[in-house]
Amino acid sequence: MKPKCAMTLVWCALLWACGGQQEAVDEQQTSLESLDPQGQKIVFWYQHTGQREDALQELIADFNQTNRYGIEVRGEYMGRYGDIYNKMNVGIQSGSLAASLVVAYQNQARAYYQADGVVDITPYMDSPQWGLSPEERSDYVQAFLEQDNLGGMQIGFPPNRSMELLYYNVDWLRELGYDGPPATWDDFAAMCRLAKEQPFSKNEDPARSLGFLLDVDASRLAAMVFSRGGDLVDSTGSAYALDSPEVKAALELLQELARDDAIDIAAERDVEVNEFVTGQILFSQDSSSGLPFYKSGIEDSGLAFEWGVTHPPQTGSRPVVDVYGASVSLCAGTPEKQLAAWLFLKWFTAPEQQARWVRASNYFPVRKSTARELEGYFEENPHYGAAFGMLDYGKSEPTMAGYERVRRLIREAMIEAMEGGDVEQVVEELQRAANRTLEP
Amino acid sequence: MATRGGKARLIYCGLSLGGLAAGFPFAWMLLASFMSRGESLRRVLLPERVQWDNYIEAWQEADFGLYFENSLIIAVLQVSGTLLFSVMAAYPLARMQFRGRDVVFTGVLATLMIPEAVTIVPNFLVVTWLHRNTPFAWLNSWPALTIPFMASAFSIFLLRQFMRGLPNELWDAARIEGAGHVRFLFQIAAPLCRAPLLTVGMFTFIGSWNALAWPLLVTNTPDWRPIAVGLQQFASEAGTEIHLQMAGAVIATAPVLLAYFLIQREFTEGISISGLKG
Repeated sequence: MKPKCAMTLVWCALLWACGGQQEAVDEQQTSLESLDPQGQKIVFWYQHTGQREDALQELIADFNQTNRYGIEVRGEYMGRYGDIYNKMNVGIQSGSLAASLVVAYQNQARAYYQADGVVDITPYMDSPQWGLSPEERSDYVQAFLEQDNLGGMQIGFPPNRSMELLYYNVDWLRELGYDGPPATWDDFAAMCRLAKEQPFSKNEDPARSLGFLLDVDASRLAAMVFSRGGDLVDSTGSAYALDSPEVKAALELLQELARDDAIDIAAERDVEVNEFVTGQILFSQDSSSGLPFYKSGIEDSGLAFEWGVTHPPQTGSRPVVDVYGASVSLCAGTPEKQLAAWLFLKWFTAPEQQARWVRASNYFPVRKSTARELEGYFEENPHYGAAFGMLDYGKSEPTMAGYERVRRLIREAMIEAMEGGDVEQVVEELQRAANRTLEP
Repeated sequence: MATRGGKARLIYCGLSLGGLAAGFPFAWMLLASFMSRGESLRRVLLPERVQWDNYIEAWQEADFGLYFENSLIIAVLQVSGTLLFSVMAAYPLARMQFRGRDVVFTGVLATLMIPEAVTIVPNFLVVTWLHRNTPFAWLNSWPALTIPFMASAFSIFLLRQFMRGLPNELWDAARIEGAGHVRFLFQIAAPLCRAPLLTVGMFTFIGSWNALAWPLLVTNTPDWRPIAVGLQQFASEAGTEIHLQMAGAVIATAPVLLAYFLIQREFTEGISISGLKG
């Protein structure tokens, strides 16, 4: 009898607890439905400059004029991602966060969330009154939404994405006897070695002729690892896997090519773009958001050569590309401000606004239906169209809160490997140091 | 064995090489700022035709006029405040006898050991508190950008070292004429400290002119943002357009160079007096 009583008590407790939890969720939902965002003034911190900032400010002005709640958004440039991260952390610590919306990478958003600086967006997305309809929800690229999902909590919302691409010089490849970009990493290595020996005919400084100039960055390595079927984290997603065979293979290839002087490290910011557009390097691996810089650079260099973009060389049958991008997080504030911020975010990611944003920024949209509004844009920008077609192969980088530090460790490991360090030892140390960042 | 003349030639050769190494980046910045984009991409050394338009384009695109004005106001306020407070703090530490003087001086020196990054959050907390609890605005305005940096341990140290060397006879003579400490400080000691004062002013000016992280923290709009923020924004905006980036860099660094050329003799003197070297 006693065990039965105990079981009954446990069941009752569980039911009560579940009921309580459900009640809390319902209560939150009810209070959300009854909120009035009328007349809220909110601030959006971003990193965009120039043409992108102008376009964003125009969009914000349109929202301010047309939204029926009289919500007023003020967009403010807050420096680069690192500056915004510092400002957010200081604001959270001092309890004086001025922003309602902030641009944040997934790992940054995670750090903010752990410090109660940003809130879960799920209740807003699910809200019958303010949220997304099932059709709207399914229109978002699910993989992008998942990048910002932390154990069921939506800590960011994607307004756009970029992709790691391989830029290649079509004319030079033809001169080398190839009719297309490399399909495998072995092809890539062979082409790089050949480019070292046979400079591009339009290169005005043939003494400088390389296959590839590596901008040392964790996303470069991530793309190389993904394309080999690997990952930077283990299967649970909770620990780093930086000593995997794929990481080793990527670093070994870089080391071999560097030893043969077929590739080099980019010593300055954007130098890989400049050397690509002047025909000094055959390949460049870079973000898709750099497409306009490559295009205008080739025009301004006066070399007028044919170029293309594709995914990095692959090992498996299905390509995998590194898709990344900062999202926008909802900062903790009054419920009305949070709701107003969500309403702007929802409006900003609607297909019409997305199409405008894409045209100005060259980012990828996050809603599939935006493609319909971009047909003309694809024709005008065939490289963008080619890259857009690869979005389905997207895979994202780790979202751990300390990933920023690990990115630095990865950069150091890449340099060490390229300078001839023992790859086995380099990855072991990298793995140890990276997982140490996860310790409490 | 090298002769005296040979030794001197070797020294001059070494110094010239050092000078070239230090000057080349600046020379390249200047030359690239006059190039077309194609020339900067091809990394030619000299522009075929001087592109003055780069400066006009950079000035207009980055709204440097506003940032320039902000930086000037901030620098003037910060330099004035730092000089005033540093002189007033250095004088008693150098010339007056009171209990705990050395402890106070050691405390001031100890603050030099604290990395600047560590002080950012406490400084921000103080400024935020003042913004909320005082009648005038600190954030998004000049007080947050200048007042926290008006007390400088380095400047106090530099001036104190110089003031210690002032002859006591000066003070005795001033006393006979009926002067007190305040009059002696501002009418006799301070004018004699011209070299270290200019050095302190120069260091403060450079620090204020180049400040980036703090102004981004305490401002939300361009209304009070200094030129370093404008330059950073413009560098992102210009992307791979190196010729425009360099034009922007020349615009931003010109006032610092000009200030240095104007006071370089006193600056060098001030550094040599205090025994500091860069």
